[in-house]
Amino acid sequence: MDSTPIDRRTIVRQLRNVIDPELGVNIVDLGLVYNILIVDGKVILEYTVTTPGCPMRRYLQQEIEKTLASIDEIEDYEAKIVWEPEWSVDMIKDDVEFFAHPPPQQRA
Amino acid sequence: MNKVPTSVLVGLLILAAAGLLTGLYSGLVRLGLLSSGNPPISPIAHGPLMINGFLGTLIGLERAAALEKKWAYVAPVFLAASTILLLTGFPIPSHGALILGSAGLTLVMAYLYYLQPKIYHLIMALGAFSLLVGNVLFVASSPIYSIVGWWAAFPMLTIFGERLELNRIMRPPKRAQHIFTLLIIGWIAALTITHIDRTIGWSIASLLLMGIAGWLIKYDIARKTIKSIEWTKYSAICLLTGYGWLILAGIFGLWYGFPTAGPIYDGLLHMLFVGFVFSMIFAHASVIIPSLSGKLVPWHTYFYLPLMLLHGFLFVRIAGDMIGLSKVRIIGSYGNVAAILLFLGGIIYQLTKEILSQKSETITTEKQP
Repeated sequence: MDSTPIDRRTIVRQLRNVIDPELGVNIVDLGLVYNILIVDGKVILEYTVTTPGCPMRRYLQQEIEKTLASIDEIEDYEAKIVWEPEWSVDMIKDDVEFFAHPPPQQRA
Repeated sequence: MNKVPTSVLVGLLILAAAGLLTGLYSGLVRLGLLSSGNPPISPIAHGPLMINGFLGTLIGLERAAALEKKWAYVAPVFLAASTILLLTGFPIPSHGALILGSAGLTLVMAYLYYLQPKIYHLIMALGAFSLLVGNVLFVASSPIYSIVGWWAAFPMLTIFGERLELNRIMRPPKRAQHIFTLLIIGWIAALTITHIDRTIGWSIASLLLMGIAGWLIKYDIARKTIKSIEWTKYSAICLLTGYGWLILAGIFGLWYGFPTAGPIYDGLLHMLFVGFVFSMIFAHASVIIPSLSGKLVPWHTYFYLPLMLLHGFLFVRIAGDMIGLSKVRIIGSYGNVAAILLFLGGIIYQLTKEILSQKSETITTEKQP
């Protein structure tokens, strides 16, 4: 299926810079990133948010799209929100430190 | 695509801010500002503007943006329209818009519960339903003192639900979550009892309110995040001080009951609406703004100033109420208005600075060969 040399690890590394401002944790460690598909050179990122009423949904969508756009190897991308499976706290990476750092713009 | 442009969100956010500013103004008119003149906004508009024009529009907008469904905007659009209609002298259509807006918000919250039938969504839906109950009674010309509990329940239940939802990451014991739910359901039942026996109903409500606040102090993430920095620490301080006001309101309500007018009535309501609700608004601003505008608000220690003024002047106001000196109460009220304006001004300043600096960065990058 994959036809490009895009490294998923590069994408994951970059996505670790997308911080949920409400929890102060990146979306990868929060377990919000469900899948990274690469189909005919197009990166399709499937992610979720902690609840369908999450106020951060819009902000996170923008940040994810910005991040994908910033990766040189990616020519085409889509960030797709999915609701299955339902997110739960068990998906958070073990020993994650909440609010270890504030959102990135505030660190600068 | 179902996406609503950010400009629409910002436009509705400005209308919510208009509800806030006109609501504050009518509050000052109520306290005697321009008493000899003819104020452009009626003093009796204070409650409807603050609850529906500001809080209803803001919370409705936040939910609609989260859901990304165009129909969900029915709530903030109608609630904002009710503000405009009220201010332009059309009270009857304004009442119609109030009912449609709050019914719309109840529908949105019920839809969220349908999508994810969790207790925190149910609590938030009950909050929106409380707004609808309050507005139906208001439009039916019930006296404000008999409905203000329902109006207060709207932001309070919304916040309680949100805190419970966020606190999942603390993994509170199931039993604790059940206790919290029972306290809240009991509190709503007590509000209903106030229509039969105001004293008994409010005494039960006050006890349960203290229980809810105690639960939040024990289980909310704020006790942990207070050791953090910047907005996170600030939010924790706002949350904990807000919970403190709930406990004070509970003690106050047990001691004095819930009169239908006068200084004790004024004190109790402002403990809830200023002490608790505005603390929560200050606490959540760093999350609400990016959710609507897509821009983070850069932190500045300045934000402690309005927070200290908010709490300090609320104490002055309550002291004025307790000792029966209306001048002291008025000083406290002006101080509270100043605190809210200083907070809002700080947010606008920081956001504008951030947007301008991002624009200048973009221009510099584009100019580089």
